[in-house]
Amino acid sequence: MKPISLILITLLPFAVVGCGGAKPEASQPAPAAAAELAPAANHIALSPAQLKAADIELATAGPANLRETLPLYGAIAANAERMREVTARYPGAIQSVTRKIGDAVVEGDTLATVESNESLQSYAVKAPLAGVITARTANVGQQTGDKPLFVVADLSTVWVELSLFPRDAVKVRVGQNARVKSPDVGFAADGRVTYVAPFGSSTSQTLTARVQLDNSQRRWAPGLYVTAELTLAERKVPLTIRKTAIQMLADSPVVFVQGASGFEARPVKLGRSDGEVTEVLDGLKAGETYAAANSYVLKAEALKSEAAED
Amino acid sequence: MIDSLLRFSINRRWIVLFLAAALGALGIWNYQRLPIDAVPDITNVQVQINARAPGYTPLETESRVTFPIEAGMGGIPGLHSFRSISKYGLAQVTAVFEDGTDLYFARQLVNERLQGVREQLPAGIELEMGPAATGLGEIFMYVVEAKPDARKPDGTAYDAMDLRTIQDWTIRPQLRQVPGVSEVDGIGGYTRQFHVLPDPSRMLSFGLTLDDIEEALRTSNGNVGAGYIETNGEQNLVRVPGQLAGVEDLRNVVVASRDGIPVRISDVADVATGRPLRTGAAQLGSDQTVLCTAFMRVGENSRTVSLAVSAKLAEINKRLPPGVQASPVYNRTDLVNKTIATVQKNLLEGAILVLAVLLLMLGNVRAALLTAMVIPLSMLMLMTSMVQTRVSANLMSLGALDFGLIVDGAVIIVENCIRRLAERQHHLGRLLSIEERFHEVYAATREVFTPSLISVLVVILVNLPLLALTGVEGKMFRPMALTVILALVAALVLSLTFVPAATALLLSGRIEEKDNLLVRWAKRAYAPLLGFAIRFRLAVAAAALVLVLACGWLTTRMGTEFIPQLDEGDIVILVNRIPGIGLEQAVAMQKGLQTALMKHPELQRVFSRTGTNDAATDPMSPGETDTFFMLKPHKEWPDPKKDKATLLAEIDATLATVPGMLYEFSQPIEMRFNELIAGVRAALAVKIYGDDFDELARLSQRAASIIAAVPGAEGVKAEAISGLPTLTILPRREALARFGLKLATVQQTIATAVGGTEAGQIFEGDARFDVVVRLPEHLRTDTAALERLPVALPGGGYVPLSELAQIQLASGANQISRENGKRRVVVTANAGERDLGGFVSDVRGKLEGDLALPPGYYIEYGGTFEQLQSAAQRLTMLVPITLLMIFALLLMTFGSVRDAALVFSGVPLALTGGVLALLIRGIPLSITAGVGFITLSGVAVLTGVVMVSAIRSRLEAGEGIDAAIREGAMLRLRPILMVALVAALGFLPMALNTGTGAEVQRPLATVVIGGIISATLLTLLVLPGLYRMAWRPMLDTTVLPVDAQDVPQ
Repeated sequence: MKPISLILITLLPFAVVGCGGAKPEASQPAPAAAAELAPAANHIALSPAQLKAADIELATAGPANLRETLPLYGAIAANAERMREVTARYPGAIQSVTRKIGDAVVEGDTLATVESNESLQSYAVKAPLAGVITARTANVGQQTGDKPLFVVADLSTVWVELSLFPRDAVKVRVGQNARVKSPDVGFAADGRVTYVAPFGSSTSQTLTARVQLDNSQRRWAPGLYVTAELTLAERKVPLTIRKTAIQMLADSPVVFVQGASGFEARPVKLGRSDGEVTEVLDGLKAGETYAAANSYVLKAEALKSEAAED
Repeated sequence: MIDSLLRFSINRRWIVLFLAAALGALGIWNYQRLPIDAVPDITNVQVQINARAPGYTPLETESRVTFPIEAGMGGIPGLHSFRSISKYGLAQVTAVFEDGTDLYFARQLVNERLQGVREQLPAGIELEMGPAATGLGEIFMYVVEAKPDARKPDGTAYDAMDLRTIQDWTIRPQLRQVPGVSEVDGIGGYTRQFHVLPDPSRMLSFGLTLDDIEEALRTSNGNVGAGYIETNGEQNLVRVPGQLAGVEDLRNVVVASRDGIPVRISDVADVATGRPLRTGAAQLGSDQTVLCTAFMRVGENSRTVSLAVSAKLAEINKRLPPGVQASPVYNRTDLVNKTIATVQKNLLEGAILVLAVLLLMLGNVRAALLTAMVIPLSMLMLMTSMVQTRVSANLMSLGALDFGLIVDGAVIIVENCIRRLAERQHHLGRLLSIEERFHEVYAATREVFTPSLISVLVVILVNLPLLALTGVEGKMFRPMALTVILALVAALVLSLTFVPAATALLLSGRIEEKDNLLVRWAKRAYAPLLGFAIRFRLAVAAAALVLVLACGWLTTRMGTEFIPQLDEGDIVILVNRIPGIGLEQAVAMQKGLQTALMKHPELQRVFSRTGTNDAATDPMSPGETDTFFMLKPHKEWPDPKKDKATLLAEIDATLATVPGMLYEFSQPIEMRFNELIAGVRAALAVKIYGDDFDELARLSQRAASIIAAVPGAEGVKAEAISGLPTLTILPRREALARFGLKLATVQQTIATAVGGTEAGQIFEGDARFDVVVRLPEHLRTDTAALERLPVALPGGGYVPLSELAQIQLASGANQISRENGKRRVVVTANAGERDLGGFVSDVRGKLEGDLALPPGYYIEYGGTFEQLQSAAQRLTMLVPITLLMIFALLLMTFGSVRDAALVFSGVPLALTGGVLALLIRGIPLSITAGVGFITLSGVAVLTGVVMVSAIRSRLEAGEGIDAAIREGAMLRLRPILMVALVAALGFLPMALNTGTGAEVQRPLATVVIGGIISATLLTLLVLPGLYRMAWRPMLDTTVLPVDAQDVPQ
């Protein structure tokens, strides 16, 4: 379990500091305690040439925008609020049909003419909204019956129906931004969460979240599968580091901070992360320089010295 | 019998000479067949079993794979012990057999057991035995490289995968055909694979699972033979081909049909040639490369095989695509040639010096030459017998040969012949007739027959204990003792047949009776010294006693080592990084290291291998790298005088600037030997046995810190048994139940997603490449993406993995080592500048005091020091027995306890010189030095016998004791000086040479030279005094025992 139990013992004091925060006065004792207990792990002096040879990149801890995201799978559906079934107002025989499936219509376009059975007057069945004919049962000579003659869908906006699993459901709220990508075609668009279903499905154990997307380009065809990345939270965080800087030492996270006498392994308490940048809650001050990339070399050096000097 | 042999030799001299020439010719022929190597092969009889368990973590490997194999090995006849290592994806069990077991028989037995074991192993485990090679097996290494401007037929540059393909399917099959090659193994580059990388979201949209894709690939890729039909008397074979040919074919495989529309692989996945999850990498200079090793089959002649490999490789190179070539980077022949050159140089220079001494002292060219002829003749006879006894020629086996010792017997005989022939000529005042000459030669030979026989017998006798050594030290020193004994027997036969025959034939002219200038000077100087030594005999004897005691005390203060390490000329830097490091990270860090090393002007090339090679002969973890630092020839160095220690210090300084690793220095053969013998690569291995993993880890850390505090401790290392970060995906059974999923389905999905699953093969000519289904790189390497991995539900739809399982990262077991069925952890250390013996006893003391072991845990010690210890033990038992036998031999010869004791007194006196010589040169005691002492006691006894027998014959002739001693001593001054000078000078080149391998022989030669100087001085000065003291009081009353053989003619 523990890599090297002695390291664990040496690092235990600041692991407590880093994770617990139980002691209020323990905001900065870590370096002092560390210097006393594990000098080797805390001062890895490397010359600029060595840094360069080892490809260690330095960065300064500071504020950054943290975008917490949640990737989800879903499918495009037509906007149900912008879909109309067009029925004949008065039952009758269809005299002419002027639009076929796939035709774009604007509001007021005549779709068909029907001769009322009662008045024997012909009247025009008009498009109730601008959109596309997605279904047509109307053919010349037929009786209209109760069935819809046409379905007109306004595809200028579409819905993305996303499946939320219980763990994710609590994080998702109406109004969150979503970036929707089509895996096949490769284009993407931004939308907002407009609805989170209050009911779940007992069979699939999922909730549905809905994102409305602008589809004026007609690129999103209902029925296609897409992936979506929800921005759960986006905020400016005062103290962040790059995620690649974090190394695990004795099962707790540390960052290698450059000091006057070299790098020290500083135990840190981490906050949220977005995959690129991670928030630091404790253990680091803004403006400190840390090893941002290839910090593994420093970990290797730290553990090596430990092993050799035990 | 002896008389008739001598008479026959002299009377039938031509026949004897012809026979000698024939034996010589036979020797020349056998020399061509003699296996030649740098060092003796000390590997024990072992069979390696490697089991590939793809994806298994160390704990799983141990319980599912290693344990059944170990259980299956139990009770194999001749099994000495077994040990195992369980690592990520690999289990290696090494069964060690009793010495003397035939390797192929052992392999056969192991193979039989493996048949049974196979059935108990989980499916998908590949089980095979390691190559039938030994520690000396890695005889040839080469890299496959392409020139920067070389282009493939399609116009693109060669990459690591292409080079690997050329190695695997073009070079390797041909090299394996070379006689004596057991295996050709590669590391580095990338084995070509066809990767089908499904996109989870696209699979979802079609309602497909990874299983469906695998299944589709499996069932759409095969050729079927369907028998034959007879049509009008003709036989038509029926075949149904369906083999996929490449990326394009793979893309078009139909996975399913949706609404009558076929869904192809290309609709749900990307297809490309890709890289496998490799376990090893190789680098040359600052680039990655493909490094290949040719293993020599056990018992072959390494020089022959590596030459053959080299020749075959040159031939293959001609047929490789333009711009691609396989370049040798390590060739055992170089080392063998260098060491053999050193040995040859030593032997040749020794022979020349011996000849010079003979010429100077005998003052007769013919006599000197005929004596010297014994050297090549006995060497050639030795070659024949070495071939017959299957002893290979190497540093050790030829390392104790001293032409001085070989010619000693002949020197005594020829010297006496010359003296007597000269006397007789002088007496008669004319040249002798043939009969007279023959008679004189016969009489002279007969007269000194006993001393020369004794001399040879004694040296043979002292070498006998070495033959009784077992284990590694036996493999080192038995050949040495055997060659010395064989050479001496050959020399003895020659001195009794060839020498008298040739003497009788050649010494026909006038023989100078007078001593030459050198001998006259020696006699002039010796006479007063002798008088002085006899007068103050008590003081001289006391001084000698003090000297012996002082040297005895000094030996207890001297350092000890097993054998001096052969300087192979090349350096291996064993790099160790922390456990848990990824292979690619290790490769990146290794690149920095090699770039730093390349600034050394002494470097010819640097190359390395990281991780485990394909044959898994050396299961290193990704954190371990063998860095080969190949040196330019010394004369090309900026400072050709720089010694290796200085260079090592400079390299050490360079290495210290590269962060993130521990390292130690070794050499190619040294590294393998240490590892194969004890399973560790260090001089001292402290093995802690126990059951609990954490407890073992704690104990090993504690032991390491205790050992590190022992003075001289270097490179103290606890085996990194833990620290491998393990991502545990723990399925939640209630969630599985809720979604109606089977555990195996989830496990298989994860395995396919992360590690990939093989789904058939693509054939390209002889070459075949795996088709692997696995997730795209950006998904499988990201923990967050893994949590999102959609798992298809039986009723359609999906659920992300995080709903089904808990994913946690923690460090787990890195490797699990077991020995004889029990878990163990090893702490290794080297003694650095300190002597190994003292270091080990210090470590033992400290550990026994400071390391508290829980019940059921125990410690064993291993490593190269083990050999030192067991050799020392055996020798402490055998050497006294041998000394007793020498004494018995002397007693039989002289028939007098007192005379025997007198002669025997030369032995401790001789040893003093050896001890002092070692001290002066700062060489620690070693088994090699011990062999020197053994040889030395032989020479000491020889000079003593010559001296005492001369004095005795005077006494028997009725001379007074003082006169007898003085006359006898003066008379034997020449032979004694000659014997001493030839023996000492014969070893002189060996003591001073600095060529490759010289360091192994240096202690032996140093001991012999120092010891011979002291032995000669003391024989000449102390022995007469002692003789006087011993015989004085009894002369009047006691009749001397008369030995019939000693009565002069």
